[in-house]
Amino acid sequence: MKIRTLKLREAHKPSPGYGAANGSSFCSILWDQQARHLVTASSSDSGISIHDALLPSTTPKILRHHRDGVTALALSPNSTCLASGSIDNSVKLYRFPGGEFETNITRFTLPIRALAFNQSGSMLAAAGDDDGIKLINTVDGSIARVLKGHKGSVTGLAFDPMGEYLASVDSMGTVLFWELQSGTILHTLKGVAPNTGLDTSLVNILSWSPDGEMLAVPGLKNDVVMYDRDTAEKVFTLRGDHLLPLCFLSWSPNGKYMATSGLDRQVLIWDVLKKQDIDRQKFEDRICCMAWKPVGNTLAVVDVSGKYGLWESVIPSSMKSPTDDIPQSSKKSNGLMLFEEEGQEPCSSGSLGDLGEDSVGESGPPSRKRIRKRSEFDEDDPAENTLDGFGLLPQRMAPKRTHYSAREHLDKGSNEELRSTAMSVRSKMQEAFQPGVTPVQPGKRRFLCYNMLGTITTMEYDGYSHIEIDFHDTSRGPRVPAMTDHFGFTMACLNENGSVFANPCKGDKNMSTLMYRPFSSWANNSEWSMRFEGEEVKVVALGVHWVAAITSLNYLRIFTEGGLQKHILSLDGPAVTASGSKNQLAVVTHASSCLPSSDQVLEFQVFDIRNGTRPSRGRLPLSPGSHLIWFGFSEEGLLSSYDSKGVLRVFTSQYGGSWLPLFSANKTKKSDENYWVVGLNANKLFCIVCKSTEVFPQVMPKPILTLLDLSFPLASSDLGADVLENEFILNNLHLFQIQKRIEESSSDDGRDTTELDDEAFSTEAAQDRCILRLIASCCNSDKLVRATELVKLLTLEKSMKGAIKLVTALKLPNLADRFNSILEERMLIETKGMSETAGVAVSQGSGLARNGTASEVPSGPSCIPSSSTTLSAPRFFKKVVNRGEQKGRNDHNLQTAREVQPEVASSGGSTELRTAAAAGTQELNGTSNPFLKSSSNGPTKETTSQRPPSNPFKKSAK
Amino acid sequence: MAGQSGSQLSLFTPDEVEFMAEDELVEIVPNLRMDSLNFICGDYGPFYPQIAIQVPLWLALALKKRGKCTIRPPQWMSIDNLTQVLEGERESHAFQSLPFHYVEISRLLFDHARDDIPEIYMARSLVEDIRDVRFHKVETNLENFTASAVTWKNMAAMEVNIIRAFSGRALQAFYRHENEQLIPDLDRTQDRQPQNLNDRPRRNLRPR
Repeated sequence: MKIRTLKLREAHKPSPGYGAANGSSFCSILWDQQARHLVTASSSDSGISIHDALLPSTTPKILRHHRDGVTALALSPNSTCLASGSIDNSVKLYRFPGGEFETNITRFTLPIRALAFNQSGSMLAAAGDDDGIKLINTVDGSIARVLKGHKGSVTGLAFDPMGEYLASVDSMGTVLFWELQSGTILHTLKGVAPNTGLDTSLVNILSWSPDGEMLAVPGLKNDVVMYDRDTAEKVFTLRGDHLLPLCFLSWSPNGKYMATSGLDRQVLIWDVLKKQDIDRQKFEDRICCMAWKPVGNTLAVVDVSGKYGLWESVIPSSMKSPTDDIPQSSKKSNGLMLFEEEGQEPCSSGSLGDLGEDSVGESGPPSRKRIRKRSEFDEDDPAENTLDGFGLLPQRMAPKRTHYSAREHLDKGSNEELRSTAMSVRSKMQEAFQPGVTPVQPGKRRFLCYNMLGTITTMEYDGYSHIEIDFHDTSRGPRVPAMTDHFGFTMACLNENGSVFANPCKGDKNMSTLMYRPFSSWANNSEWSMRFEGEEVKVVALGVHWVAAITSLNYLRIFTEGGLQKHILSLDGPAVTASGSKNQLAVVTHASSCLPSSDQVLEFQVFDIRNGTRPSRGRLPLSPGSHLIWFGFSEEGLLSSYDSKGVLRVFTSQYGGSWLPLFSANKTKKSDENYWVVGLNANKLFCIVCKSTEVFPQVMPKPILTLLDLSFPLASSDLGADVLENEFILNNLHLFQIQKRIEESSSDDGRDTTELDDEAFSTEAAQDRCILRLIASCCNSDKLVRATELVKLLTLEKSMKGAIKLVTALKLPNLADRFNSILEERMLIETKGMSETAGVAVSQGSGLARNGTASEVPSGPSCIPSSSTTLSAPRFFKKVVNRGEQKGRNDHNLQTAREVQPEVASSGGSTELRTAAAAGTQELNGTSNPFLKSSSNGPTKETTSQRPPSNPFKKSAK
Repeated sequence: MAGQSGSQLSLFTPDEVEFMAEDELVEIVPNLRMDSLNFICGDYGPFYPQIAIQVPLWLALALKKRGKCTIRPPQWMSIDNLTQVLEGERESHAFQSLPFHYVEISRLLFDHARDDIPEIYMARSLVEDIRDVRFHKVETNLENFTASAVTWKNMAAMEVNIIRAFSGRALQAFYRHENEQLIPDLDRTQDRQPQNLNDRPRRNLRPR
């Protein structure tokens, strides 16, 4: 027998610190699917090395995430996912070959000893010194099953290539066959493998032949024993020149050869069919792990001191290559792997369908994980369910086997079919969601609803959930007792008066249920529930005195607060989400399937429940390639949406109803933060800031709202005054809103609009202040035309004067002349307009519609007269009627202008830019608060001089 | 607390130092909606539930006692930072930079906001260790106190308080030794001053 020496290269230094038994530690080695990388790990080293197989001299990539030695490695069959188990009791997943840490998929109480992926990569088995083998869904980390039966620590795991069984071996030498579907023990083989005792560097292993027909287990007589797949009877043994018990064995990819290593430091290569050893090699140290190259005639070995090497051309060229004739089943599995790789994609981005929910024999919790992050693969849930479920079911058939039922053939067929559909429809319509929901996380509380008012949280214990309702404002909101939920509610909505819950249907027994709980009611037992047969609630919404639910049949069902079924409408498409506020219900539906560019096609409609009208409907804009993640009303009652690209849009009736992008996360974002939107008001966006790795908040610790300024995505202008420009547009928007509200309330029933008028006035003053500052920066950067345009947009007389003073101070006399002529022109027009419209106003009454402010109309001298007449006349008229003596309110009012003029004239005279600008704004400040001076005016005075509430928190109270 | 036993010698009692520390700002997360509060020291608020805001420590504690807010522990009170500071204190002679009122703030928070501080026992023992190390340092530094310029950076209120009276008198003593002819005058004033200091009626702060 020839003796070759194989040069080994050091990968892991055995360090005494890690408690390696007498310098020897268990090391692992793996090839990836294309044989481009070699992965090694050692139980005395916390790092995992990924070596480049093509360039062995380059330094390996080292993953240091474990805190203690790595005892087990496993690669998913498609080599996209690397799992590692360690003495630190954790199992971690990495992306491969990049090596990015993905997740701590599970944790034990004792060290991990063995890991194995099933053939589809959807399931990971992990075991160790604990008394159970955990089967973990790789997708969401949920534990599908814990297999208990071993007495000692489990050191070897192997999924049957046909996906039916799992074989495991423990340190006492007991081999168990598990049936995956039921989780029961099929066969127990006690003491067939050597008892390794407590030496952790020596582990029992076992391995299925690639065709799945036999299980190879090291025997007691320094041999390898083959057991039959189904009967677990001894088939034959490979006995030869091993002098001491075996410590590792590895099938060649085609199953024709086997490499075994023994405690006698030998590695033997066997021809399995002839039951003969064909080659051997002696090493300096014990080889504790080997791996055949998936393509090629090479065996990778690693010894107990952490040195690894490649044994090239193991099988003599006269014999068949170890990769020839790879059994049918694994070829097929390769095909499937390619597909699985697609299925894996969303996994790596952190989402996949509700795996386990519908699949047979899984007890894992239903997981609607990370809905927010889902993109294209969303709607494929049923398909994915089945596919992932198949991870546990027999997937392929060995041609020889005949005991498979016809049903399984059918299943397989449908599997194929699903696969093809999954391949063809790449972009998916987004799934229905409830605004303010966070995905299921096993063992953690999660939000069913988070809005500006409060939260609804739930946590699943075995079988039932525990729901808590909390209001942010503990002093005002009602106190709601926690409730036990036997339905498994996944949708909820909350407002001041009550909460509504709904659950999806789960099979025939568990129908979809809608439940409403009022917080306070004069009658006892006023909560109610509705059940839906053959229908499933998708989205719920809540408003004042009504409850809405949208179902899988695209019905919009509206109930009253008491539970009366009031309306049932048919919607145009499948629901995406809905939101309610006061009388308004806004619904988002799919208008069609996605565009080829994977853009969602969504449509929104707003219903007025009280009046039974539909004020607006239209397409819901989204950023390209994004999907909707939040939808709701602002505190002012404006419809708003937030998409996955971080753009907030608000619906206004400007331009006949359009969406304005009011916030863009990319512009304000600190790169490593995600914003989880909760609500907004006129100026601020309320959101929870999440660190980069998370896209949604946790219930504990209680998340804190962060305020972000709303800002339009402005182009970077040559003016360099983005803040001012943004303020300018925002003010315009606010003015428009206020005008609209005034219009509505006055046309409604002639209600007193004083308060709104005041608000409009102060906004106008703020706008003028902003415009003045813009004019200043325009003048500074020599944009005179723009400055003139801006002057035309000023509403207050005083601000015009201020502007003139400003440009005079800036030594721009021609601009000052121009401004003066604009002012004169306007005053002239106003006097005319007043005398004209006075009669008109009297005849038309106070309910005259006002369209837009001066700033809304296109600029240009010819347009101003018309706008200012319609705008100012009714207001002036109203003032005369309502509170005649009040002054200083109407900007276009000539009387006011005349009164103000002397003030302006007397206070002027400064030549510097700063003082002039300041003077302009100061004057404005003066006018913006007219009630302080004219304090004799009844109702308004009360509101402004209202005292702050008496303060109970004096220091002496401590 | 080291050095506090001689409270008669120091200018302020620890309670008084604590009282001064209560004007420091901390961040709270209220759980109620409340309009702004107008105080002599400034206006705070309006308060919105779940939105963080800065208020003086005394207000934060008052709200906390009524269950109206949670206090967000300041940045420097994180375990990481405290461990780092403790290491720094042990390694070098200089004082690490900590807030001027760190002793008082941490004491108040540990007493009244224990549920808001993550790993409170760890944080508490770290702060106590830091305090002990620093007080020891102050005391050893006093041993080589000379009349020449003394610069101790980053000393905290409590630490200054311990040595305030001592160092003042020590400097006066130095001065007296250097200017022998002034002895009679100085003696008289010297005798009177500590007397006054100790006889001064002490306001007993109500215990919390």
